[in-house]
Amino acid sequence: MVHGDTTDPIVQVRRRVSAGAEQIFDLWTKPDLMVRWMSPYPGAVDCKASCDLRPGGAFSLVMSSGESSREVSGTYVHIDRPRKLVFTWMGPLTNNVNTLVTVELTPRGDETDLVLTHQRLPTPAICEGHTRGWGHILDHLADAVSKDF
Amino acid sequence: MIEIEARKEAASRTARLDAVFAALADPTRRAIIERLSRGEARVTEVAEPFHMSLNAVSKHIRVLEVSGVVERHRKGRDHILSINTRSLDEVDGWIVRTRRYWEERLDAMERLLRELKKDHKAGPKDRKHGSR
Repeated sequence: MVHGDTTDPIVQVRRRVSAGAEQIFDLWTKPDLMVRWMSPYPGAVDCKASCDLRPGGAFSLVMSSGESSREVSGTYVHIDRPRKLVFTWMGPLTNNVNTLVTVELTPRGDETDLVLTHQRLPTPAICEGHTRGWGHILDHLADAVSKDF
Repeated sequence: MIEIEARKEAASRTARLDAVFAALADPTRRAIIERLSRGEARVTEVAEPFHMSLNAVSKHIRVLEVSGVVERHRKGRDHILSINTRSLDEVDGWIVRTRRYWEERLDAMERLLRELKKDHKAGPKDRKHGSR
Protein backbone atom coordinates (compact mmCIF):
# COMPACT_ATOMS: atom_id res chain seq x y z
CA MET A 1 0.00 0.00 0.00
CA VAL A 2 1.05 3.57 -0.57
CA HIS A 3 -0.49 4.83 2.65
CA GLY A 4 2.02 6.01 5.18
CA ASP A 5 4.86 5.19 2.83
CA THR A 6 7.38 7.89 2.09
CA THR A 7 8.88 6.27 -0.99
CA ASP A 8 7.77 6.95 -4.55
CA PRO A 9 5.33 4.47 -6.01
CA ILE A 10 7.40 2.12 -8.13
CA VAL A 11 7.18 -1.45 -9.30
CA GLN A 12 10.22 -3.63 -8.80
CA VAL A 13 10.57 -7.19 -10.04
CA ARG A 14 13.65 -9.28 -9.18
CA ARG A 15 14.61 -12.56 -10.73
CA ARG A 16 17.64 -14.83 -10.92
CA VAL A 17 17.97 -15.94 -14.54
CA SER A 18 20.07 -18.90 -15.68
CA ALA A 19 21.89 -17.13 -18.46
CA GLY A 20 24.75 -14.70 -18.81
CA ALA A 21 24.20 -10.95 -18.51
CA GLU A 22 25.31 -10.32 -22.10
CA GLN A 23 22.81 -12.80 -23.52
CA ILE A 24 20.02 -11.25 -21.44
CA PHE A 25 21.06 -7.77 -22.50
CA ASP A 26 20.79 -8.90 -26.13
CA LEU A 27 17.24 -10.16 -25.54
CA TRP A 28 16.30 -6.66 -24.43
CA THR A 29 18.03 -4.78 -27.22
CA LYS A 30 18.10 -6.86 -30.41
CA PRO A 31 14.92 -6.51 -32.46
CA ASP A 32 14.93 -10.13 -33.76
CA LEU A 33 15.06 -11.37 -30.14
CA MET A 34 12.75 -8.69 -28.70
CA VAL A 35 9.86 -9.83 -30.89
CA ARG A 36 10.15 -13.37 -29.50
CA TRP A 37 9.21 -12.56 -25.90
CA MET A 38 8.15 -8.96 -25.42
CA SER A 39 4.71 -9.24 -26.96
CA PRO A 40 2.03 -9.56 -24.29
CA TYR A 41 -0.67 -10.48 -26.81
CA PRO A 42 -1.10 -14.20 -27.40
CA GLY A 43 -3.00 -13.51 -30.62
CA ALA A 44 -0.22 -11.44 -32.10
CA VAL A 45 0.88 -13.00 -35.37
CA ASP A 46 3.03 -10.25 -36.74
CA CYS A 47 5.49 -8.54 -34.42
CA LYS A 48 7.95 -5.96 -35.57
CA ALA A 49 10.65 -4.35 -33.50
CA SER A 50 13.14 -1.67 -34.26
CA CYS A 51 15.65 0.07 -32.09
CA ASP A 52 18.31 2.69 -32.29
CA LEU A 53 20.50 1.67 -29.37
CA ARG A 54 22.10 4.91 -28.23
CA PRO A 55 21.12 7.44 -25.56
CA GLY A 56 18.20 9.40 -26.98
CA GLY A 57 17.57 6.72 -29.63
CA ALA A 58 14.08 5.29 -30.00
CA PHE A 59 12.73 1.76 -30.00
CA SER A 60 9.34 0.44 -30.93
CA LEU A 61 7.55 -2.85 -30.88
CA VAL A 62 4.44 -3.31 -32.98
CA MET A 63 2.20 -6.28 -32.26
CA SER A 64 -0.47 -7.05 -34.82
CA SER A 65 -3.23 -9.60 -34.72
CA GLY A 66 -5.37 -9.41 -37.83
CA GLU A 67 -6.75 -5.91 -38.23
CA SER A 68 -5.70 -4.40 -34.92
CA SER A 69 -2.21 -3.58 -33.85
CA ARG A 70 -0.68 -2.19 -30.72
CA GLU A 71 2.56 -0.48 -30.16
CA VAL A 72 4.98 -0.10 -27.32
CA SER A 73 7.67 2.51 -27.75
CA GLY A 74 10.24 4.49 -25.87
CA THR A 75 13.59 6.21 -25.83
CA TYR A 76 16.88 4.94 -24.44
CA VAL A 77 18.11 7.03 -21.56
CA HIS A 78 21.17 5.10 -20.38
CA ILE A 79 22.96 2.14 -21.96
CA ASP A 80 25.71 0.26 -20.15
CA ARG A 81 26.05 -3.16 -21.75
CA PRO A 82 25.62 -5.64 -20.11
CA ARG A 83 24.93 -4.13 -16.68
CA LYS A 84 22.23 -1.53 -17.08
CA LEU A 85 19.58 -0.33 -19.49
CA VAL A 86 17.26 2.59 -18.82
CA PHE A 87 14.50 3.57 -21.21
CA THR A 88 11.18 5.35 -21.32
CA TRP A 89 8.19 3.13 -21.96
CA MET A 90 4.84 4.02 -23.43
CA GLY A 91 2.08 1.69 -24.51
CA PRO A 92 -1.33 0.21 -23.73
CA LEU A 93 -0.13 -0.86 -20.27
CA THR A 94 0.64 2.75 -19.37
CA ASN A 95 -2.44 4.18 -21.15
CA ASN A 96 0.11 5.72 -23.51
CA VAL A 97 1.73 7.75 -20.78
CA ASN A 98 5.51 8.00 -20.70
CA THR A 99 7.01 5.91 -17.90
CA LEU A 100 10.55 4.87 -17.02
CA VAL A 101 11.98 1.34 -16.93
CA THR A 102 15.40 0.42 -15.54
CA VAL A 103 16.85 -3.06 -16.06
CA GLU A 104 19.92 -3.91 -13.99
CA LEU A 105 21.91 -7.10 -14.53
CA THR A 106 24.38 -8.46 -11.99
CA PRO A 107 26.33 -11.65 -12.86
CA ARG A 108 26.22 -14.41 -10.22
CA GLY A 109 28.46 -17.14 -11.55
CA ASP A 110 26.63 -18.78 -14.47
CA GLU A 111 23.46 -16.92 -13.55
CA THR A 112 22.39 -13.32 -13.52
CA ASP A 113 20.31 -11.29 -11.09
CA LEU A 114 17.85 -9.16 -12.99
CA VAL A 115 16.18 -6.23 -11.25
CA LEU A 116 13.53 -4.37 -13.20
CA THR A 117 12.21 -1.09 -11.87
CA HIS A 118 9.21 0.59 -13.47
CA GLN A 119 8.37 4.14 -12.45
CA ARG A 120 5.47 6.17 -13.53
CA LEU A 121 6.59 9.68 -14.22
CA PRO A 122 4.84 12.82 -13.11
CA THR A 123 4.58 14.25 -16.62
CA PRO A 124 4.23 17.92 -15.59
CA ALA A 125 7.38 17.54 -13.48
CA ILE A 126 9.37 16.47 -16.53
CA CYS A 127 8.04 19.39 -18.56
CA GLU A 128 9.25 21.82 -15.93
CA GLY A 129 12.57 20.04 -15.57
CA HIS A 130 11.62 19.66 -11.94
CA THR A 131 13.12 16.42 -10.73
CA ARG A 132 13.54 17.01 -7.00
CA GLY A 133 12.81 13.91 -4.98
CA TRP A 134 13.11 11.54 -7.91
CA GLY A 135 16.83 10.93 -7.82
CA HIS A 136 19.58 11.71 -10.26
CA ILE A 137 18.35 9.20 -12.83
CA LEU A 138 15.53 11.53 -13.75
CA ASP A 139 18.01 14.31 -14.35
CA HIS A 140 19.43 12.22 -17.18
CA LEU A 141 15.94 11.46 -18.36
CA ALA A 142 14.86 15.09 -18.33
CA ASP A 143 17.86 15.89 -20.52
CA ALA A 144 17.07 13.04 -22.87
CA VAL A 145 13.37 13.66 -23.29
CA SER A 146 13.00 17.44 -22.88
CA LYS A 147 13.31 17.78 -26.66
CA ASP A 148 10.18 15.70 -27.09
CA PHE A 149 7.93 17.94 -25.06
CA MET B 1 -19.77 4.65 -29.53
CA ILE B 2 -18.96 2.29 -26.69
CA GLU B 3 -15.33 2.35 -27.73
CA ILE B 4 -15.25 6.15 -27.58
CA GLU B 5 -16.74 6.06 -24.09
CA ALA B 6 -14.18 3.47 -23.05
CA ARG B 7 -11.41 5.65 -24.44
CA LYS B 8 -12.75 8.69 -22.59
CA GLU B 9 -12.89 6.64 -19.41
CA ALA B 10 -9.30 5.46 -19.94
CA ALA B 11 -8.18 9.03 -20.66
CA SER B 12 -9.75 10.40 -17.50
CA ARG B 13 -8.34 7.50 -15.48
CA THR B 14 -4.93 8.32 -16.94
CA ALA B 15 -5.34 11.98 -16.05
CA ARG B 16 -6.36 11.10 -12.49
CA LEU B 17 -3.45 8.69 -12.13
CA ASP B 18 -1.04 11.31 -13.49
CA ALA B 19 -2.34 13.84 -10.98
CA VAL B 20 -1.93 11.37 -8.13
CA PHE B 21 1.60 10.39 -9.18
CA ALA B 22 2.57 14.04 -9.59
CA ALA B 23 1.12 14.76 -6.15
CA LEU B 24 3.13 11.91 -4.63
CA ALA B 25 6.36 12.99 -6.29
CA ASP B 26 7.20 15.52 -3.60
CA PRO B 27 8.61 14.77 -0.12
CA THR B 28 6.53 17.42 1.66
CA ARG B 29 3.32 16.13 0.11
CA ARG B 30 4.23 12.53 0.96
CA ALA B 31 4.84 13.63 4.54
CA ILE B 32 1.40 15.29 4.60
CA ILE B 33 -0.16 12.06 3.32
CA GLU B 34 1.72 10.10 5.96
CA ARG B 35 0.39 12.42 8.66
CA LEU B 36 -3.19 12.09 7.35
CA SER B 37 -2.90 8.31 7.04
CA ARG B 38 -2.84 8.32 10.86
CA GLY B 39 -6.17 10.16 10.94
CA GLU B 40 -7.84 13.35 9.78
CA ALA B 41 -6.40 16.65 10.96
CA ARG B 42 -6.86 20.41 10.86
CA VAL B 43 -4.88 22.37 8.28
CA THR B 44 -2.87 24.07 11.04
CA GLU B 45 -2.02 20.70 12.63
CA VAL B 46 -0.82 19.39 9.28
CA ALA B 47 1.33 22.48 8.71
CA GLU B 48 2.89 22.47 12.19
CA PRO B 49 5.84 20.06 11.74
CA PHE B 50 7.08 21.75 8.56
CA HIS B 51 9.67 24.49 8.63
CA MET B 52 7.81 26.56 6.10
CA SER B 53 5.06 29.14 6.02
CA LEU B 54 1.41 28.15 6.31
CA ASN B 55 1.01 29.62 2.85
CA ALA B 56 3.66 27.27 1.41
CA VAL B 57 2.08 24.24 3.08
CA SER B 58 -1.34 25.35 1.83
CA LYS B 59 -0.03 25.23 -1.74
CA HIS B 60 1.01 21.61 -1.26
CA ILE B 61 -2.36 20.80 0.29
CA ARG B 62 -4.04 22.41 -2.71
CA VAL B 63 -2.10 20.12 -5.08
CA LEU B 64 -3.18 17.11 -3.02
CA GLU B 65 -6.80 18.27 -3.12
CA VAL B 66 -6.79 18.82 -6.89
CA SER B 67 -5.31 15.34 -7.41
CA GLY B 68 -8.10 13.89 -5.28
CA VAL B 69 -5.70 12.36 -2.75
CA VAL B 70 -6.83 14.69 0.03
CA GLU B 71 -10.33 15.92 0.84
CA ARG B 72 -11.36 18.90 2.90
CA HIS B 73 -14.50 19.42 4.92
CA ARG B 74 -15.52 21.98 7.50
CA LYS B 75 -16.27 21.35 11.12
CA GLY B 76 -17.52 24.64 12.51
CA ARG B 77 -14.67 27.08 11.89
CA ASP B 78 -12.06 24.41 11.26
CA HIS B 79 -10.96 23.03 7.93
CA ILE B 80 -10.42 19.31 8.35
CA LEU B 81 -8.27 17.32 5.94
CA SER B 82 -8.53 13.59 5.31
CA ILE B 83 -7.22 11.05 2.81
CA ASN B 84 -9.39 9.80 -0.02
CA THR B 85 -8.19 6.20 -0.12
CA ARG B 86 -9.96 5.54 -3.42
CA SER B 87 -7.47 7.71 -5.29
CA LEU B 88 -4.60 5.74 -3.79
CA ASP B 89 -6.35 2.49 -4.72
CA GLU B 90 -5.92 3.51 -8.37
CA VAL B 91 -2.19 3.77 -7.80
CA ASP B 92 -2.24 0.35 -6.15
CA GLY B 93 -4.14 -0.97 -9.18
CA TRP B 94 -1.47 0.38 -11.50
CA ILE B 95 1.24 -1.23 -9.39
CA VAL B 96 -0.51 -4.63 -9.43
CA ARG B 97 -1.13 -4.55 -13.21
CA THR B 98 2.43 -3.48 -13.96
CA ARG B 99 3.97 -6.10 -11.70
CA ARG B 100 1.86 -8.83 -13.31
CA TYR B 101 2.82 -7.58 -16.78
CA TRP B 102 6.57 -7.77 -16.10
CA GLU B 103 6.33 -11.12 -14.28
CA GLU B 104 4.64 -12.55 -17.40
CA ARG B 105 7.17 -10.95 -19.74
CA LEU B 106 10.08 -12.30 -17.70
CA ASP B 107 8.46 -15.77 -17.77
CA ALA B 108 8.38 -15.48 -21.57
CA MET B 109 11.98 -14.27 -21.59
CA GLU B 110 13.09 -17.34 -19.60
CA ARG B 111 11.14 -19.64 -21.94
CA LEU B 112 12.98 -18.11 -24.88
CA LEU B 113 16.33 -18.53 -23.11
CA ARG B 114 15.57 -22.25 -22.64
CA GLU B 115 14.65 -22.52 -26.34
CA LEU B 116 17.85 -20.80 -27.37
CA LYS B 117 19.83 -23.14 -25.13
CA LYS B 118 18.24 -26.16 -26.82
CA ASP B 119 19.13 -24.70 -30.21
CA HIS B 120 22.75 -24.53 -29.10
CA LYS B 121 23.00 -27.98 -27.65
CA ALA B 122 26.58 -28.20 -28.81
CA GLY B 123 27.40 -25.64 -26.11
CA PRO B 124 29.63 -26.57 -23.15
CA LYS B 125 26.79 -26.92 -20.63
CA ASP B 126 23.32 -28.27 -20.97
CA ARG B 127 21.27 -27.46 -17.92
CA LYS B 128 17.78 -28.80 -18.26
CA HIS B 129 16.20 -26.94 -15.39
CA GLY B 130 16.50 -23.23 -14.99
CA SER B 131 16.92 -22.31 -11.35
CA ARG B 132 15.27 -19.38 -9.65
